[in-house]
Amino acid sequence: MLLDYDRLGWLRAALAGFTALVAAFLLLPVVFIVLLSFGSSRWLAFPPPGWTLKWYQELLADPAWIDAALTSAKIAAMAAILAVLIGLLASFSLVRGEFRGRQLLRGLLLTPMVLPVVVFAIAIYAFFLRIGLAGTTTGFVIAHTILALPFAIIPIATALEGFDKSIEDAAIVCGASPLQARLRITLPSIRIGIFSAAIFSFLASWDEVVVAIFMASPTLQTLPVKIWGSLRADLSPVVAAASSLLVGLTLALMIVTALLRRRLSR
Amino acid sequence: MTANALRRQSFAGLPAGSGGALPALTLVGLFFIVPVVALLLRSVTDPEPGLQNYAALFGSGTYVRVFFNTFLVAAVVTAVTILVAFPVAWMLAIMPPALGSIVFGIIILSMWTNLLTRTYAWMVLLQRTGVINRALMGLGVIHEPLPLINNLTGVTIGMVYIMLPFMILPLVGSLRAIDPMTLRAAALCGASPLQAFRRILLPLSLPGIAAGGLMVFVMSLGYFVTPALLGGTSNMMLAEMIAQTVQSLLNWGLGSAAAFVLLAVTMALYAIQLRLVGAKRLGGGL
Repeated sequence: MLLDYDRLGWLRAALAGFTALVAAFLLLPVVFIVLLSFGSSRWLAFPPPGWTLKWYQELLADPAWIDAALTSAKIAAMAAILAVLIGLLASFSLVRGEFRGRQLLRGLLLTPMVLPVVVFAIAIYAFFLRIGLAGTTTGFVIAHTILALPFAIIPIATALEGFDKSIEDAAIVCGASPLQARLRITLPSIRIGIFSAAIFSFLASWDEVVVAIFMASPTLQTLPVKIWGSLRADLSPVVAAASSLLVGLTLALMIVTALLRRRLSR
Repeated sequence: MTANALRRQSFAGLPAGSGGALPALTLVGLFFIVPVVALLLRSVTDPEPGLQNYAALFGSGTYVRVFFNTFLVAAVVTAVTILVAFPVAWMLAIMPPALGSIVFGIIILSMWTNLLTRTYAWMVLLQRTGVINRALMGLGVIHEPLPLINNLTGVTIGMVYIMLPFMILPLVGSLRAIDPMTLRAAALCGASPLQAFRRILLPLSLPGIAAGGLMVFVMSLGYFVTPALLGGTSNMMLAEMIAQTVQSLLNWGLGSAAAFVLLAVTMALYAIQLRLVGAKRLGGGL
């Protein structure tokens, strides 16, 4: 009865205990970093000798951190928009196209997700050095769009596969043009997939470190590059404050996602 | 019929329905394929045509040790991840959904939290004077701080932490797909729980374990951030070496050769992965 929750006997207690431990392990760094950011010790002593908000004040008073956050948001938003648009078009032909090499094309478009980022990072860096895009916002957006594309294609293609195409055909038979049918019937039906695609591609760019380290210039830094630099220099509590704000953002994003999914799927 | 005919005409001259992929194909072709191929060419042309970069790579004890370390870390991380993920996935597959959704929430929160944030937390937790050492000493388990960071232990803890969601989530899917009746039948026929586990549950979940394990292994092979921050100089991994060779030493030829080795190994394993799960289900853990 190994797959029957109610008849597992003593094993259930063991599995549940282990699962709780792993959940605690997964939660530990996230909770720890938030607590640490309010601690008053510059040397990150824990438990902290007192509580303070000074690391947040230091963080918000430093224009370099604010600039980095704004740069990240701008690049991630552009990369997400591009990845969703290009991914949407590509998904239609990957799911519905009838041509040879469709599977090959799918594999090719998903490759940026599998290829070690460091290989892509030095390849695109060398390429951009040559064509003068290294250290530019355009270069950043192009590189991040490529990395985000698989994260846009997978949820959209999955949603499109689950959509009954005969509904779209019915609209066409009733007089809609193919474009109208797609825009007014198909797109609204796969909106959850499109929405997930937007979130995932945004995160893929927002959290990206490796390409960013190569692409960054003294005047163009994303948030991960700024954190990376601080981590290499020292373990300042200001990084804990920045990290906690990122955790807060993640939580907010998760809640918005859950709420929107519930509303959209109604 | 009319609808299909209309759609077929919409992109004259192109194979049916392939037009939509053109922007993606252009982007990936121009800014992914071209740069990667150019990089590979560089490994046999920089500083002069020939295979000297590969000779240097495989002829030097330092670089061979980096290869060995990379495979060692990836293998250890994969093994530990599978062992930890299996019981959790098992529990999640059969747990009442209300309770399970809390665990799923924690998994997603950890997975979505910024990678550097998580790694930074482990840097602070694992350091000599960190919470873990202090707690163990306080409990009297150890008397001297354990070296938990800048070595294999640190990398393993940090990487397993990152990889767990990628193993648990697909595994839950493949465990849920197993018909509980097969196990009920085994019990009816007199199999002990251990026998049922070894001869039914484990073999039936093996494809899921293999697919997830291969994905974790491939991801670990090319990982850069966590090994660079939690690992030591004596067990540098391939990705960090490639970045350093290019960024600090400006040795593009050698860096490209190392990148090609990493790419070849990854793509070979990716091909096996595709065979195992099919291109469609790749990334299903999203």
